[in-house]
Amino acid sequence: MNTPSVGQQPHGRGHSEGHGHDLAGLLAQVACGDHTAFEAVYDQLAGPVYGVARKVLRDPAQSEEVAQEVLLEVWRSASRFDPARGSAAAWVMTIAHRRAVDRVRAENAATAREQKAAPDIGTSEDVFELVDMALDRQRVRRCMGSLSTLQAEAIKLAYYGGYSYPEVAGLLGLPLGTVKTRIRDGLIRMRDCMEVSQ
Amino acid sequence: MSVQSHDLHLLTGVYAVDALTGDELDEFEKHLEQCPTCAEEVRGLRETAARLGLATAITPPPWMREQVLDATNRVRQLPPSGVRLITADGSRRRRRLSRRLPRPIAVTAMAAAIIALAVLQVGTRHQLQQAQTNNQTIASVLSASDARIQLSGSTVGGTMTAVVSPRDREAVITASGMPTPGDAQVYQLWVISPAGARSVGLLPGSSDRATSPVLAADVQPGDQLAVTIEPAGGTRQPTTTPIVSIHTHR
Repeated sequence: MNTPSVGQQPHGRGHSEGHGHDLAGLLAQVACGDHTAFEAVYDQLAGPVYGVARKVLRDPAQSEEVAQEVLLEVWRSASRFDPARGSAAAWVMTIAHRRAVDRVRAENAATAREQKAAPDIGTSEDVFELVDMALDRQRVRRCMGSLSTLQAEAIKLAYYGGYSYPEVAGLLGLPLGTVKTRIRDGLIRMRDCMEVSQ
Repeated sequence: MSVQSHDLHLLTGVYAVDALTGDELDEFEKHLEQCPTCAEEVRGLRETAARLGLATAITPPPWMREQVLDATNRVRQLPPSGVRLITADGSRRRRRLSRRLPRPIAVTAMAAAIIALAVLQVGTRHQLQQAQTNNQTIASVLSASDARIQLSGSTVGGTMTAVVSPRDREAVITASGMPTPGDAQVYQLWVISPAGARSVGLLPGSSDRATSPVLAADVQPGDQLAVTIEPAGGTRQPTTTPIVSIHTHR
């Protein structure tokens, strides 16, 4: 499918581009207890795993904890990865996002949501300043730009903000049904946009 | 609440970005098993959501690599889920069936190491007996298919690690790198639920790799595991602010 990228992949800058197949193979090796294969998986995915945790949680210490939990979970349950059900990167990122969101929701159950800082809808400087410029990021940004403002805002609040869709509806002052369909339509549009630009 | 399947189908998007919670989440996941179209759409949208995540990559602190790689030596891996059932039909059925089967009890490498430490560290015969009765339970928590690793840094340094099994309502807690508490002081572990705090016991301080494990029973999903510094012997209720706490997954 993807052509492997010709350029160097510096340490910690893991991306799915050109690695999808490798990652699935590596995970199969990890499932057999291969520590070297796990190191390679770590080097490809620790960056995105930590990045998504930072994006959702903001707090570096908590993000480090979640990232470690996720990466250990990848080690522990590598045998459960099924290539027929999706890419290796999506499998890991799904675990990472769920964990980050779980953590943020557990926290918010304890502290009133109102006391939290206002949601940041655009790019968060503190995080994005550190983000590696990568093909994936440019493509995501471009495809995000092809969405309607409401679609993009709803998706960003849900995915990067870790808000449940009723919370997104509250923040945007929209009916639940509208948020539901905006997020779905927006994701479908992003999916098509990114497929086209592969 | 009964929702039309057409409406349920519209939830694929919010599900793919983990924005679905509570009863609606349970209902949708049930629906997914019977709706191949929805499952296929979720699969595609998850890939798209993953791209949103991949685009946020930040290089983590360098120490994390060593710490995670080191931890893999102590965390046992799950066996393949279909391993005990070889059926002629599709993998999907195999997976669904195997999910309902009890996981084979296996004493994990982590469990073995932790139990060895426990046995080394306990002093009295009573404690030893206690440790032995707990060992079986600890081993089963550590190998439970639904077990989840959660960790949190403490304000006095070091980390508390919990392996939590929502199904068994149990958690195994260890600490590493936490300094020995001051004279006449102890680390006390609590399960904090909406009903209040319940003491689980004392958590030995140790700057070694990992302390002996403490088993907490009757841990309901959403309960908090917390450690406070208390006077020697412990107290009935926490008297200080926790130095570390973990909210178990709901």
